[in-house]
Amino acid sequence: MNTLVRLAGVLVAATALSIPAFAQTTVVAPSGSTAGTYMDYMKTVYDRGTGSELLQIPIATFDKEFELTPMAAESWTQSEDGLTWTFKLRSGLVWSDGEPLTAEDFVFALQHAATSGYDFAWYWDFAGGIKGWKEVTEGTADVSTLGLKAVDDLTIEVTTVAPKPYLPSVTSLWYPVPKHKVDELGDDWSLDVSTIVSSGPFEIESWEKSNNSVVLTKSDTYTGPWSPMIDRLELDPTLNAPEVGLPAFLAGDADYSFLNTGQVPVATSRYPDGIRKNAVFATSYISYDLDAAPFNDVNVRRAFYYAVNRDELTSTVLKDIAIPAGSILPPGYPGYNPDIAAEAVFDPEKAKKFLADAGFPNGEGFPDVEIWYRDEGGYNKAIVPAMAQYLQAEFKEVLGITLNIRALPGPEWMDGLRGKKNNIFIAPYEYDYLDPSNFYGIFYNGGRHGYFIPEYDEIVAKADSESDWDTRYKLYAEAEQLMIDQGLIVPLVHPVTIAVVSDQLTGDGVQPNSLGFTQLDRLGHYFFTHITKQ
Amino acid sequence: MLGHIIRRVLSVAFTFIIVSVIIFLMMHSVPGGPFDANDMPVSEAVRAKMMAQWGLDQPLHVQYFNYMWGVLHLDFGVPFQSPGETVVELISRAWVPSLVLGGLGVLIGAPLGILLGMAAALNRNSWIDYVASTVATLGLTIPVFVTSMLLILIFAVWLNWLPASGWPQPNRWILPIACYAAIPLATYARYTRSAVLDTLNRPFVTVLRAKGLSERRIIFQHVMRNSAIPLVTVFLPMFIGTATGSIFVEAMFRVPGLGAYFVSSIQVRDYTLQMALMLLITFMYCIAYLLSDIAYALLNPRIRVGGAE
Repeated sequence: MNTLVRLAGVLVAATALSIPAFAQTTVVAPSGSTAGTYMDYMKTVYDRGTGSELLQIPIATFDKEFELTPMAAESWTQSEDGLTWTFKLRSGLVWSDGEPLTAEDFVFALQHAATSGYDFAWYWDFAGGIKGWKEVTEGTADVSTLGLKAVDDLTIEVTTVAPKPYLPSVTSLWYPVPKHKVDELGDDWSLDVSTIVSSGPFEIESWEKSNNSVVLTKSDTYTGPWSPMIDRLELDPTLNAPEVGLPAFLAGDADYSFLNTGQVPVATSRYPDGIRKNAVFATSYISYDLDAAPFNDVNVRRAFYYAVNRDELTSTVLKDIAIPAGSILPPGYPGYNPDIAAEAVFDPEKAKKFLADAGFPNGEGFPDVEIWYRDEGGYNKAIVPAMAQYLQAEFKEVLGITLNIRALPGPEWMDGLRGKKNNIFIAPYEYDYLDPSNFYGIFYNGGRHGYFIPEYDEIVAKADSESDWDTRYKLYAEAEQLMIDQGLIVPLVHPVTIAVVSDQLTGDGVQPNSLGFTQLDRLGHYFFTHITKQ
Repeated sequence: MLGHIIRRVLSVAFTFIIVSVIIFLMMHSVPGGPFDANDMPVSEAVRAKMMAQWGLDQPLHVQYFNYMWGVLHLDFGVPFQSPGETVVELISRAWVPSLVLGGLGVLIGAPLGILLGMAAALNRNSWIDYVASTVATLGLTIPVFVTSMLLILIFAVWLNWLPASGWPQPNRWILPIACYAAIPLATYARYTRSAVLDTLNRPFVTVLRAKGLSERRIIFQHVMRNSAIPLVTVFLPMFIGTATGSIFVEAMFRVPGLGAYFVSSIQVRDYTLQMALMLLITFMYCIAYLLSDIAYALLNPRIRVGGAE
């Protein structure tokens, strides 16, 4: 009898203990893979700890329709001369250790980034145009000269070198850094779960550094917009590869998975309602060393532009994973101009004529060239190598030239591009903020390609600071026309990612937007705070 | 024997130095550095500052001696891809899952392989032999990423008996261990079969049979012992190869092990970690061959280490 009573007691206790555990909703999600050095987006972007952006609250962010939504800021205003922006923060925001979150933490984040080797520092120069940024990062000016000021606890003032009408959308990547923690521990504050503090909708529970997977929990102290509907979020980069993610999804170990081309038919037949598509705001294009033969001849570049059959490419080798790109801007992206995109047609005759005009009729006498692409993971892994082979065959057939292919690891590819160690590249680029200046900026005044085209730079500079949006878009269209006429790039494709989502996952986050796309973790703040699990 | 061991230890040290120089030079001859951004460059000034912080601005030979001086004190530096811990801490953390899964894989696969190989040899040209050969050939020819995919598909997706992947719950170990075990099983089945057959054909076995010894004693006492030498040769290197983690198996089964670091340390130019991993492997192979030599001597008194026969 005694044993029975004891057993019953144990059972009751166990049930009581397990109820909260059952009531907890945990979502297991794949996540982009990075090295996972620091859990601080403002310390490193390319090597950041998984989910570091979800731990902090940005000034503003985008919802699923790409509407800019204030987050830490409540409102913002631009000065008459267009050079100064004033951001008013919400009151009552706190760090997870109870310290108040102030304007000082945001200002400190950028001051620190400018001086400590932030691998995303270029963004705040080329996108943000913050006064003094270039000088401070190059070490020729003191950090106090930056155009950043915490006027009071809730007011930030940002001064830019030229009017930046799109600055608020740039702030979607501006996260605060806990100054009180850095004062105490230096950059090491973001290395250990026990010392990491957060200001965003999630807090960190654990971090497995070997594969950079994390467990986040709903923050108890967060008072900003978009509080999570789930209790726990496991973000696991090892689930990112569809080859690993889909089996785990099928076995019930993950709540959604990205798909590779081979998996799409299987997943579609089993989960017809669970398929989600996302047109990533990204473009793959060919770029050149404009100073090196044979691509220093505009006719050669124009020939390449007309020699690509984008429709065939995306309906065969890249079926389901890419759509044709006629423009550097993806469809749906602000400033996208369908008329300009329509110019990118497949015209073998025109291509041959341009090549003949360059002195290489039917490709005769054209040197063998080697196209370099970056060997990487994610959606580009499926797209770029296959595309390179397609281009190889296509250029042989249409232009009669031999294109060799070489895959390089990221740093070597970048080194080749920057150091002009080769003359032709396949370059992928994914947007960083939602404004045409983002894509045009990569060719501006050197940019990432070492292109120096004075006419282009002049138009883009004008467009960047134009406050009338119609005029701006017109100027960008002009810049793009110039890119086409001078054959600066060959737009190839825009990637599309496909995922399968469990029917247990519900909420606005998994519903497609008005364009029919579901961004999933690409809009992390929106997505992970707008999902729930049955 | 002692003199030989001392000589071998010295040769280990020598190998170690040669390997370290070669790795160091190769590592630094690859273009790009640990602080070259993936997409957009950091400013020259900042990059120089970071290089200086890690001593990477110094001449190569100085960097080499600094590193090796640290190694002598068991200080392998700080991994660039995981600041906040030392290389030693990183390896001892990440090695655990690899050692557990890979080690158990070999420890389970090898005996099974030996049994299979013996069964095949003792029943030559029977169905047992054919099954064993087929299993061995499949185990050696099917790449682990295919084996792992099949195991996941069958046991996790179709039958739903086991989780597809993950760590650390022990029920998640089963599939990766099965995957790891396939190679030693196949290798051992083949080696054992041919070693046992080879021994069975030796004159001494005929003598033993003539002497009237029972078949059981012949097999277990004499044949097995004499067949063990080739098996000893493959055991330790195989153990090291498996227990340092396979990038494929660990990726497929989402194991937070050491495997991925072999690749990532090269990709991100994590010099300190790259050196440490290579030195670790070198060291282990040296020790493995040393131990194998000693084991030979114990198994076969006619073999005298150091050529003193």
